[in-house]
Amino acid sequence: MNDFFRLEDLVMQFGGLTAVSDFSITMQPGELVGLIGPNGAGKTTVFNMITGFLNPTSGRVIWQGQEVAGLAVHKITEAGIARTFQNIRLFTDLTVLENVMVSFHQHIRTYFWEAMLGLPTYQREEKRIRDTAMEFLQEMGLVHLAKEKAGGLAYGQQRRLEIARALATRPRLLLLDEPAAGMNPHETNELAELVRQLRDRHSLTIFLIEHDMKFVMGLCERIKVLDYGITIAEGTPAEIQQNPAVIKAYLGEPK
Amino acid sequence: MSKSRRNFILNIAAIIVLFIILFLFNSYGTNYQIRILNNIAVFITLAVSYNLVNGICGILHLGPNAFITIGAYTSALLTMSAAEKQMTYIIQPLVWPLSVLHTPFVLSLIAGGVMATIFALLISFPVFRVRGDYLAIVTLGFGEVIRVLANALQSITNGPLGLKGLVPYTNLWWSWGVAVVTIIMVQKLINGSYGRAMKSIREDEIAARAMGIDPFKHLLLAFLISAFFSGVAGGLLAHLITTISPTLFTFFLTFNLLIIIVVGGLGSTTGAIIGAALFAWGGEALRVVERPLDLGFLKIPGVPGMRMVIFSIILMLVIIFARRGIMGRNEFSWDWLLTKLRLGERG
Repeated sequence: MNDFFRLEDLVMQFGGLTAVSDFSITMQPGELVGLIGPNGAGKTTVFNMITGFLNPTSGRVIWQGQEVAGLAVHKITEAGIARTFQNIRLFTDLTVLENVMVSFHQHIRTYFWEAMLGLPTYQREEKRIRDTAMEFLQEMGLVHLAKEKAGGLAYGQQRRLEIARALATRPRLLLLDEPAAGMNPHETNELAELVRQLRDRHSLTIFLIEHDMKFVMGLCERIKVLDYGITIAEGTPAEIQQNPAVIKAYLGEPK
Repeated sequence: MSKSRRNFILNIAAIIVLFIILFLFNSYGTNYQIRILNNIAVFITLAVSYNLVNGICGILHLGPNAFITIGAYTSALLTMSAAEKQMTYIIQPLVWPLSVLHTPFVLSLIAGGVMATIFALLISFPVFRVRGDYLAIVTLGFGEVIRVLANALQSITNGPLGLKGLVPYTNLWWSWGVAVVTIIMVQKLINGSYGRAMKSIREDEIAARAMGIDPFKHLLLAFLISAFFSGVAGGLLAHLITTISPTLFTFFLTFNLLIIIVVGGLGSTTGAIIGAALFAWGGEALRVVERPLDLGFLKIPGVPGMRMVIFSIILMLVIIFARRGIMGRNEFSWDWLLTKLRLGERG
């Protein structure tokens, strides 16, 4: 049994509504897996259960041998699972650099009173954080915007900053919630290339939600399809494209 | 010379200039001027520490008057001599060991801060279970509870009679010394990693959690630090006014602090300082409008409360023309000043 990352029969009920039922998946380190499905299928709910924003009604989330379902969100991030958000959630009034620097705070080794007294140990750590954050911005091509307010960035840049910020938490599993939403085909192609590079450079395992079929089919090695909270298909991009249940879910019954 | 080194030297120079000005006032100023300067310093301490919670963490906390009360009473009880306490507590004697404890002023200030912090810790668990309006109401309620307790706990606070005849220990050195230390420490905190974590919670708590920030831990940290400095300022206030009673620390005080930081610019320490100075000085300067006015052809009788009308008008003007306060979320920086003076490199 693989204990790297495994979801076992996750169920999420809101009152009488079952948003997700019996969702299971096992992922190997380094895999790039896609999660697709029509609007309201429960894809983001799955992400919310993995990252601790929702406590699953039943089922287990196994991460590196440990059960993490129900842990506080920041504990799960500390354990090495990071995410981006479907509706961009940047710290808009902070600068681009500060947005990334926030992600380093969880690993900070100095105490608050060292900061208040301005001790050298603290100042060295602050400088280290700043320098490393700049490296992440460099990698995402945002370095020239470091001092801009995050809220003032163009849409595509905001999406990139979200990824940079998530990467800076030093995850082993990265969850991307519709990273290509609102991008033009050219930007989408660039993003696909970037995601692939990031996976290799940071030895990441990536699980992503996306509506852009060309993006998903071109990028992911394996795809899961959700409809009304139920897993209707799983397989390689080629298999998914041929799957009658998937075609039905997206296009409806043939007349 | 590096920028940080230059700023460090300029900061030191500014503090020296400040204390020279204070020295001049202390030697040649009138009691009235010294009194206003003391008020300004105490309000700066209060506003800067209040801004840490409301402006930086984005939490609407409406109970700083509780921490000021706790600091003021703690500090006052520790500087009064046993004999004075016996004379003051006429209805019910003061409980032991408070009745015999007697410490130097500086220790009493620290004790005031620590006591306020302990109370802040106690209420933080219910307070940070909620957010927004609910949190505002919980803290507002706490402020009232403390006021009522100060009124009712005859054997500790001397009830409505209050404490009178405190030694006026608070002078310009104490009040401004505390203000400068508060500003420096709060600024260091805000500009560092802990401050960024607090601001990230203000900007988007959900995203902050996803980036590994524990909101409770950081809001608590800000709340406790703020309570500590409020408590110390309460001790200063007690030994400035020399008479304290429960009516001194009502919600009205919180309300004034809120006005100060909103007018100054929520989230800006510079704004809090400017707001506090304007408030403490302006409150006195505007006394003119309450005096009877004789223009020769027109006689206007003095109207008590006129100051507040003018204050409200100023407040409304600021909100209309500078919606995010005087400073917004900007801070004073030497770069900015030097560029203005055309001394620094432009860019």
